[in-house]
Amino acid sequence: MTRVPLTLSINGEMHELLVAPHWTLLYVLRTVIGLSGAKENCLEAECGVCTVLLDGKAVNSCILLAEQCRGRSIVTIEGLGTSGQLHPLQEAFIRHGAVQCGYCIPGMILTAKSFLDETSGRVPTRDEIREAISGTLCRCTGYQKIIDAIAAVAAETKGGT
Amino acid sequence: MSFTVHHPASVSDAVALAERYGADGRFLAGGTDLIIQIHRKRLASQHLIDLTGLAELRAIEDAGDEIRIGALATHKAIERNPLFQGALVALAEAARVVGGHQVRNVGTVGGNIANASPAADVVAPLLALEAEVVLQGAAATRRVRLRDFLAGPGRTMRGDGELVREVHVAKPPPRSATAFLKAGRRKAMEISVVCVAARLTLDDAGRCAAARIALGAVSATTMRAEAAERALEGALLTDDVLRDAGRLAAGACHPIDDVRASARYRRLLVEALVPRALARCVERISGRRS
Repeated sequence: MTRVPLTLSINGEMHELLVAPHWTLLYVLRTVIGLSGAKENCLEAECGVCTVLLDGKAVNSCILLAEQCRGRSIVTIEGLGTSGQLHPLQEAFIRHGAVQCGYCIPGMILTAKSFLDETSGRVPTRDEIREAISGTLCRCTGYQKIIDAIAAVAAETKGGT
Repeated sequence: MSFTVHHPASVSDAVALAERYGADGRFLAGGTDLIIQIHRKRLASQHLIDLTGLAELRAIEDAGDEIRIGALATHKAIERNPLFQGALVALAEAARVVGGHQVRNVGTVGGNIANASPAADVVAPLLALEAEVVLQGAAATRRVRLRDFLAGPGRTMRGDGELVREVHVAKPPPRSATAFLKAGRRKAMEISVVCVAARLTLDDAGRCAAARIALGAVSATTMRAEAAERALEGALLTDDVLRDAGRLAAGACHPIDDVRASARYRRLLVEALVPRALARCVERISGRRS
């Protein structure tokens, strides 16, 4: 099968790849590079577990062709914090008990980060936070604590992370 | 699944590729619909012409008497642009309720128009604003009315090689307002069961100088409710007049029964939402909060 050369910036590192044209960013992240933080589930942009940041904005990596990410900056949950130095959202999720099975959490945290950066300069309402994560499903139904955690970071940082 | 992705360096390269590949080629913008259709094997394009790199198509430009929205402007860009806060706010209201944040960050206005879903939220305010679509082909560029552009569910008057390049919206005159309302089964991540966009201009005496009403998800394309518009123009907009407009709009639409709602329920929604959207416009013109 045809392979096309592609350089992707992922978590600040440049990756030289050979990709098939139909490969999605999610496939490249998980299967080619081995970053398994973004999850594979609905593959139709309904559930949000595949969310990554593309140029700082939350996107569904399951419906984005890897080739569409040429020249752009990708951040996955692996690039957000380290075990020694967690991102404030990661700390808040732990503090508020927002993580149950954990499957949706990478997408949830990156969705929240994108949203808080977008509303930077003001503290979003709880309703806005609910709407912000409407495209990111948690089936443990831990939403209350997830919203608590995001609201806490929003209040501490006035939006923006 | 096998295709080639082309990365044109300019809009003219993109339309040249489209002309070369004809029906085998598809423009790829946000991909929020196209990639899903390919995954579902409903679409077997051999050549995807990726527009992502064409920054010139992303612009939202204030051209004096009109706003020019580039085809690649995302729903998020519409939602956040100050140009859509005043009399054009219905566009931001519609853009804000499309999918979740992830989809709004990549899904484009051009894609929404070109897909021609009868339930496309942003198409309703564009139709109420009598938007025009700029189509660029390899040989010529033409400007058509959005209402003529929409031909049926998923069908438009766009030729194989033509690119939806921009959509133009005239700025409404003073004492104008717009509003958008959407009914779904839940508050977010929902395809419209019915959506309604209204644009109203009042004269100095408080009478309706112009009314435009667009209805989504109740006919083969997003449609204008012209009988209702005519009943409003020249009238003082009392509650009774607004209710009559709702009844006329409900009588003019052609909803179907489907998984999301019955035709009868959709008509009831049109009857209720049209007066509500109009009343919101009146409130906005009189400066009250809505």
